[in-house]
Amino acid sequence: MSKVSILAAVSDHSLFGPPPLLEGEDAAAYDELYGRVCAAVKPVDIIDEIYIADVVTLEREILRLRRLKLSLIKASLHGPLQNFLTEALDYREYRQGFEQNLAEILQTRLSQEQARELAHRCARSEQDAVKKVEIVLQAAGLKMNRILDQALADRAKALTQEYQRGEPRAIKQVTKVLASSGRTMDDLIAIAVNDKTGFGSDHDHLTILERIDHLITVAETRRNVTLREIERRRTRFGEALRRQVQEVEGEFKVIEKTPAEAKSAA
Amino acid sequence: MTSERKIRANRANARASTGPKTARGRSRAARNALRHALSLPVYSDPALSEEVETLAQKIVATDANAEKQELARRIAEAQIDLRRVRHARHQLLSQALSDPDYESEAMLGKKAALAIRCLRRIDASMPMPEDAMEFLSSKPEGPYKLATILTDKTRQLLALDRYERRALSRRKFAIRALDAACSAQRTGA
Repeated sequence: MSKVSILAAVSDHSLFGPPPLLEGEDAAAYDELYGRVCAAVKPVDIIDEIYIADVVTLEREILRLRRLKLSLIKASLHGPLQNFLTEALDYREYRQGFEQNLAEILQTRLSQEQARELAHRCARSEQDAVKKVEIVLQAAGLKMNRILDQALADRAKALTQEYQRGEPRAIKQVTKVLASSGRTMDDLIAIAVNDKTGFGSDHDHLTILERIDHLITVAETRRNVTLREIERRRTRFGEALRRQVQEVEGEFKVIEKTPAEAKSAA
Repeated sequence: MTSERKIRANRANARASTGPKTARGRSRAARNALRHALSLPVYSDPALSEEVETLAQKIVATDANAEKQELARRIAEAQIDLRRVRHARHQLLSQALSDPDYESEAMLGKKAALAIRCLRRIDASMPMPEDAMEFLSSKPEGPYKLATILTDKTRQLLALDRYERRALSRRKFAIRALDAACSAQRTGA
């Protein structure tokens, strides 16, 4: 199919209705998919065009639902991943954060330089520094464990966000933490989908994901039926074409020259 | 053979299941077909029947025999029906998605219950607890919104899906019949 006729097919939505795009979806991507399917199938009649429009609509629906499912799982993973990291992160992973937080607190009682120095030594678990810090914190009504917990929670939160943004360093680090604690991402996904809060709706996660899965299955079945129908028509078309060719060939008989004619021709 | 007692029981049961009994139920059932008018045949709408004829003419030439023209009309009718169903489905989702304050009815109920509980417990001069405020002002956004809509509208979507399935089936068999008719004509010729 030529580029011009593909564009013509794309623009003729009147028979099949406007492209079924939802808010924020890209019309150009729909037209591109339509054009690609048209180019691959090369419709021979209006019925083929009807089937192509169906395949494109259903394919868009499948992609939309798959993307939705993935986004939901990814978003619901946030809580379980953060909780897991809060439990499993090694002290070395949040030592820097702890040192910074501690230095800021100590600055209210000590000079900036002294606070930094003491926080640095305390974070490296030097006993005399730890004791000094505990005295300062006690005077301020604070506890070392609280500051440690806060640093851990901050780091777990930041690492979860970096992981969800797909930052390679964070992915590597999370994979390492998971491996060292003998767990996999599938364990966390299982926790996420069993969440009863239901993505802010009244239904639990599993019910919503099941519903989306059902819609995907329905659309896939319909798309496959349509593809089979195109194939069936093509087979029929091919058979009809073969019969026509045989009939046409039958009409043209090869007239062999008689020996006398051949002699005179020679 | 079915006993007389069974026949009587069946008749009594049949009489008991003949639709809504109350005036409210009857009036609601009377409006069933009007909700999206998809059960109405396309020929009840002059504009749609014109579209059916136009599409049928694109499927087979005007000089085709009566059988083929009838089959083409059946395909066109199913195709227009399919378009109506898909349009209704699209409208349902689009309207809900474009509503910035969309919230599921169940969630609205939960929020109202929480608001009432909070108002009963705390002094009017006191501010609402932060987590309660956060819950009350929360709204489904991004993928959550579409997921919430798909789950909330399950009943309507299933109903539309039934219409779509029927239209697809009608169209498939009409196309097969037309293909068979064309093939038979070619073989005959």
